[in-house]
Amino acid sequence: MKTFLTLTSFSPTQKLFSLSQESGRNAAKYFINTYPKYFQKDYAQPHIPCLMPETLEAQIEEASEAALIERIRMRKVKAAVDLYDQLLQAGTSVSLDVTNQLLDLICFCGDHDPAQENVPEQRNEETVESSIENNNNAERIFALLSEPNTHSYSALIRGMVKYGAYSKAFSTYTDLLNNRLKADVQTFNALIIAAPEVKEKYNEKWELIVDLLKQMAEQKVKPNLLTLNAVLKALRRCGTLGKSQAFPVISEMKALSIGLLSDHYLLLVHELLGVGENWRLLGNDFQQNIYYARFFSLLCMMENIDVMLKWYRDLVPSVYYPSSNIMRDLLQALDTDNRLDLIPQIWKDIKQLGHANRQNLVEELLILMAREKHNQEVQESFAECALDIKKIYDTGDRGKVLLSWTAGSLSDLISVLLAAHRRQDACTSQIFFLFSSFREMLKLFKTHNRVPSEELLNRFLTCVKEAGEVNQAVELVQISAGFCLPETPKLIQRVQQEFELTEQQR
Amino acid sequence: MSKNMATSLVRQTKLLSIVSSQLNSAACFRNIHCTAACLKNRAARIRVGKGDKSVTYEQAYHPHHIGHRKGWLSQHTSNLQGEDGAAERVVEDVFIRRFMYGTFHGCLADEVVIKRRGNLLVICAVMIQKLLPSKFYFLIGYTVELLSHFYKCPVQIEMQTVEEKVVYKYL
Repeated sequence: MKTFLTLTSFSPTQKLFSLSQESGRNAAKYFINTYPKYFQKDYAQPHIPCLMPETLEAQIEEASEAALIERIRMRKVKAAVDLYDQLLQAGTSVSLDVTNQLLDLICFCGDHDPAQENVPEQRNEETVESSIENNNNAERIFALLSEPNTHSYSALIRGMVKYGAYSKAFSTYTDLLNNRLKADVQTFNALIIAAPEVKEKYNEKWELIVDLLKQMAEQKVKPNLLTLNAVLKALRRCGTLGKSQAFPVISEMKALSIGLLSDHYLLLVHELLGVGENWRLLGNDFQQNIYYARFFSLLCMMENIDVMLKWYRDLVPSVYYPSSNIMRDLLQALDTDNRLDLIPQIWKDIKQLGHANRQNLVEELLILMAREKHNQEVQESFAECALDIKKIYDTGDRGKVLLSWTAGSLSDLISVLLAAHRRQDACTSQIFFLFSSFREMLKLFKTHNRVPSEELLNRFLTCVKEAGEVNQAVELVQISAGFCLPETPKLIQRVQQEFELTEQQR
Repeated sequence: MSKNMATSLVRQTKLLSIVSSQLNSAACFRNIHCTAACLKNRAARIRVGKGDKSVTYEQAYHPHHIGHRKGWLSQHTSNLQGEDGAAERVVEDVFIRRFMYGTFHGCLADEVVIKRRGNLLVICAVMIQKLLPSKFYFLIGYTVELLSHFYKCPVQIEMQTVEEKVVYKYL
């Protein structure tokens, strides 16, 4: 069994585990609520109500307002509506507050009992049929109200928007205006969300939204964070026009000193995220992942490397596990800023995060390492990384080969190893180790049917010459002859010039 | 062991009911309850055999080694001077052990250790890696929720997994 990480951020396995634990808890809750008689004995002093089985039956039986309030609190939509009808038929008047609460309940719950929706992270899709029913009930009750106030209108409009009756929502809104009532923030938010659905073309949508915002200003209703969210969501549906409008909207909102959260302006956002409660708006983990992915890619593109690294160290791996694309972006950023000496650390992170089996990422890493010459320590560290990578290539998990060599990656690997070798006081053991690995490399070339490049062979030769190993040089020539490379005669010449060969070797 | 107990219990109660019915006829109505004979020198001891039976550390040492070479499987304060509730704790422990044995059937590598800290009930178990981790987490969530609702106290499970039962010796 893998070691259980105790980090707070959610890798896919951690998410699976917490979900399975939650479903176990729900199974237990099902048993507790289905057979409550075994869980009634109360040991606890003082009484702990949350550990008793849930009592789902309404207590108050007779038709009264208190009973209605109780059913509303228990979220029993059908029972509440029936009781309301009963009360009206019996002639008792129900106060406006209670009716508003009932309207809220219907519009929120969509006319079926929400008792099944206990499972977290699942959102049941409301079907069209239930939405039609819901609207009828809500509208019916609304019509029965003698003097609807702002609250009732807002409940009705939000319910309509939630269940897809967008044009009805707008007509209700005009009703509201005709009755000379003011709408509150929630209503406007709902209408803004509904706006893109009502009109066809992008400019009309945008104009409608601007219209709504203007009316909001006239009615002196302050927009809040949800307004901003709604506007931005609507803008997403507006396409390119939306993008251009987003920035002035955001600057306006900033002027009204509201906290921001959006995918568009991530850097600004992240600073404000540290301020106060905005982190709660980050939503669940999936959205968090998307947010951080976009955040990092923006960072890589826009900022210089030190800022990038500061954010990286802050967030990884405590808050977020970057994906392999993000690591690629990070590597490219390092490249542009000439900070390739940080590659070994990044490689460690890549291994830890489990991206070490991704072919393109590893190849990119190799290319970056092999491209230029650096100073000695850097080369040494590169060589260690390269050997690590080689191990991964060779020994897969239980015999499975995870990665396959390409000519480019092989030659990059070898050149990195070669470059690291160029050390004045290299001890002999190191040399022998490197040579054995060279020989293996060349064998790999053969077995995997790849052809080494001329430059590679030349570098091999110079390296070999420095070490003074004549046999190696001859072997090299033989191998290149085996490959029938056009450079073989040149190589032979070089070997003959630079080495002192015995007769046999000649 | 439990089979033995059951059969001897049935036999003895039959005998006793005959005896007591005869007694009853003499105008006194008292029934006698008794268990099967549980010898204290045979309790919790695995006898030495051919050498093919593997035992864990817990099973290998006999009850007189408790406090010397073994620890206690159930830790609570109701056996201290002036504290009460020891019998209730024992009954709870028995229930919890049977519950764990049944819920994690075949996965327990050793006896369950039950610790009580104030109100908190901590169940420590060593499991064999017989199930997938997600299944273990499901059962842990289920057990915690059910037991905490049953005993009206917070319950915590501390689980450790091993690849195979840890054998101490072969008897």
